[in-house]
Amino acid sequence: MTAEPTEEDLQSIRLESIQAAEEAIREASSRPDLHLVQAIQALDDTDKYLNVTATRASEWYGLHFPELTQMMQDNIALCKMISDIGGRGSFSKENLGGRGLTDKKVEAVLEAKSRSKGGEISDGDLGRVRALAKLALELSSQRDSLNGYVESQMKKVAPNVTEVAGATIGARLMAKAGGLDRLAVLPASTIQILGAEKALFRALRTGARPPKHGILFQHNEVHMAPKWQRGKIARTLANKIAIAARVDYYRGSADASIKSALDKRLESIKERYKDPPPRKPERRGPPPREGRFPRREKTRRR
Amino acid sequence: MSSILKERRDGRTFLLTRNLATGKRVYNEDLVVRDGVEYRTWDPFRSKLAAAILKGLPEDIITKGGKVLYLGTSTGTTASHVSDILGEGGLLVGVEFAPRVAREFVEKVARERKNVIPYVADARNPEKYAISRVDVVYCDIAQPDQTAIAMDNCKRLLKEGGSLLLVVKARSIDVVKDPRTVFEEERRRLEGSGYRVRSVIELSPFEKDHAMIYATR
Repeated sequence: MTAEPTEEDLQSIRLESIQAAEEAIREASSRPDLHLVQAIQALDDTDKYLNVTATRASEWYGLHFPELTQMMQDNIALCKMISDIGGRGSFSKENLGGRGLTDKKVEAVLEAKSRSKGGEISDGDLGRVRALAKLALELSSQRDSLNGYVESQMKKVAPNVTEVAGATIGARLMAKAGGLDRLAVLPASTIQILGAEKALFRALRTGARPPKHGILFQHNEVHMAPKWQRGKIARTLANKIAIAARVDYYRGSADASIKSALDKRLESIKERYKDPPPRKPERRGPPPREGRFPRREKTRRR
Repeated sequence: MSSILKERRDGRTFLLTRNLATGKRVYNEDLVVRDGVEYRTWDPFRSKLAAAILKGLPEDIITKGGKVLYLGTSTGTTASHVSDILGEGGLLVGVEFAPRVAREFVEKVARERKNVIPYVADARNPEKYAISRVDVVYCDIAQPDQTAIAMDNCKRLLKEGGSLLLVVKARSIDVVKDPRTVFEEERRRLEGSGYRVRSVIELSPFEKDHAMIYATR
């Protein structure tokens, strides 16, 4: 260590440090993967708002025209009708056209209108329901636009992760990890259970069986697979995502061999474990206190 | 004159620190005037150092004009009070790794206070911020190997006879073990490396599963 700095030295060091710190912060805030992380979270938030808003509009409108809300499976299409057409008295063959409804369905709606069990609705209340329905439509288009952004941006920022995991799942994993740089240094076993932290820590505490998948459950290959294959598929998928994230972060170019290796491996899992395993005899008594595997010393993690 | 004030009201103790940046707030805390001097209220539910002091940590570890290396400043809530206590002529070297929270620390604390020098750096690389030896190393970094990191920093930057204040978050060292066991293990780790552990203060009810270890070398 050199001689102690004087007050004057310290003030000049301080100003330099503030500048350097601000530069580091600025640099970190302009990373495209952090914008993706915000976008995927905004997408998930918007999904939530959309759901509650559309459900509320449907419930409210259902006081007035319950048959229609019963008939329409798709809340967005229903909200579009409420917003475009208004009260049930205004429904006609003309304004029901061009909505992708079958002629039979149009007939059914008009039939329901004539003998509806719904109550009267004042202009004021109808206006409020229509405004709510319109809000749901706006949220829906906002959702689509965010989704488009995530899809296209993921291809640029993390082409290999996108290829292997899909854009939305890849983005969610990135969000959980805290950016592409963090995802690129996570072990595959961690990636496999990202999003299942609660189940994991419960397993560690009680010795129950650990989770097989977190966010990865949303992947088609995992949730479409029969139950006994899911753990193996999730593990393989996580392995390839870990490799893909590293290639994306350190090399930055697409590499088709990752996906083809994944497909090959999935093929062999499905072939080899076609049949369900024989049922194990039921375990009696409480599970052992410690985990099923001896715990090893923790290593560094960030 | 001490920069910390303790007041008793309704059977509870309140901490205040003399505001070094007069008129400025850091996290929307209350400003109060005592004998013509402005103080900031110090909330033990938001600052583990305040919690430790209320639970018996001596107040004279960080003193006016002293030098402190603060690892893991986060947004600078506690760091701002340490800066108050050090006063003009003191020095706080503040290190934070995460850019998101470092932003608030730089804007609201470092820019407003001449005794604070900020670094966006990893506490595993002390050479990045080795500008002066210090009287106290304050470490609140929630890493599994935090005690080793803290000792490494002390070895390079703590003066002979200086103090280490180590915040132990049991849950980030081992989620399964009993917190008391974790505190005990970290104490032994320090003692095994030649530190004298003066006290281990559990921070409940202010923080769950946290303790402040006060050690000297």
